[in-house]
Amino acid sequence: MLFVENPSLDPYFNIATEEYLLKHLDVEVIMVWRSKPSIVVGKHQNTLAEINLPYVKKHQIPVLRRLSGGGTVFHDPGNINFTFIKKAPKEKLIDFRAHTKPVIDFLQSLNLDARFQGKNDLRVDGLKISGNAEHVYKDKVLHHGTLLFDANLQSLNEAIKSREENFQSKAVKSVRSTVANISSLLPRKMDRETFMSLLKSFLLERFSSCELYTLSTQDVKSIEKIKQEKYTSWDWNYGWSPVYVFSHQKIINNTPVSVTLKVKKGVILSAHISENNQSINDSHPLAESLQGVEHHPDKVSNLLSEMNFQQYNQLTDKWMLLELFF
Amino acid sequence: MNLPGNLKYTKDHEWIKIEGDVAIIGITDFAQNELGDIVYIEVNTVGETLEQEETFGTIEAVKTVSDLFMPVSGEVLEFNEKLEGAPETVNQDPYEGGWIVKVKISDNSELEDLLDADAYKAIIE
Repeated sequence: MLFVENPSLDPYFNIATEEYLLKHLDVEVIMVWRSKPSIVVGKHQNTLAEINLPYVKKHQIPVLRRLSGGGTVFHDPGNINFTFIKKAPKEKLIDFRAHTKPVIDFLQSLNLDARFQGKNDLRVDGLKISGNAEHVYKDKVLHHGTLLFDANLQSLNEAIKSREENFQSKAVKSVRSTVANISSLLPRKMDRETFMSLLKSFLLERFSSCELYTLSTQDVKSIEKIKQEKYTSWDWNYGWSPVYVFSHQKIINNTPVSVTLKVKKGVILSAHISENNQSINDSHPLAESLQGVEHHPDKVSNLLSEMNFQQYNQLTDKWMLLELFF
Repeated sequence: MNLPGNLKYTKDHEWIKIEGDVAIIGITDFAQNELGDIVYIEVNTVGETLEQEETFGTIEAVKTVSDLFMPVSGEVLEFNEKLEGAPETVNQDPYEGGWIVKVKISDNSELEDLLDADAYKAIIE
């Protein structure tokens, strides 16, 4: 078993590292890591429905899709992630209690009354401090979890404010919980670096066969490739969302304008626009032009720039109009 | 444990029903029970020709995503689209309504590697 030392704060690199360690190496792994502010959605989620897009754009927060299931999480350097990659017979791979036990034991060693609750959360006095998810790949399982130590909870709550009401789909929805930081609950105060190094020592002692491992130049090269090809791509992070119908209404120049888009693999299959609750028929040039365009703010913005709006009744303000589509 | 005798099985807990040169594929009653409540099934490979053991889709239950592997090589002909709206069908009816894909078998010799109900039963007991 390897204890992988990964000091990177780059969320794209870190998530790509998990995939690399799972699929390209044949070893059991422990990794403790952090990322700069970022949002990580579950494998089968609708990314646009799970994030606060204006906030994400304003603060340039990276948004990534991961391999495991479950809901959306927020990372920042005050959140410490742990990853276990284990081998086991197929029927023993999925086991949230067993995989979180070392972490619970660690938290209890700090006199924190952390407990496994529900199906996959760690909680203290009912407050969620850790979310967990798994991905089974052949004879291995990747279990990972977050540990909110002293994360910016205000950013967390803003960034992952969901907009489910505008999206209809069968995608996996996040379940929001009241969260808390471990640092505010610990009887003995410590900084995040101390907490991380205590966690590392605890795990090294628990898994005594573990060897410290630093990623080689070759490892990093392979990880960078996965990062570039997959985790930095819009196609994976947004386009991979399950098919959805997006509905939105805005008042533009005193007129209620509403839009309905059907989107599959990130691409708009059909668009329907109405003004004053009166349907503009489907052959409307704007609705027609939207077909085949990615449901991506830059792509829709480009399309709107190319069109002449004077002829479309009230639809004159491009920026107001762009907001209608997201 | 329900293990129909007319099906073939794999160690990855999938079942295969052979109809001519087409294999209908799903997961076993044992597998659905181990996974728990299934919330999403994704198959984006219809029309692709995949090798045995390659991933043809993913299945999510209780925050765990598992890959689905091709039990035999061939072209993925069809995904059971009912599962897009009702993935729980796999929990309720794994061998009939819960079939996942149909595959055009490209190499009949691979069928010899598949397990019969008794051999599969020995694995899960």
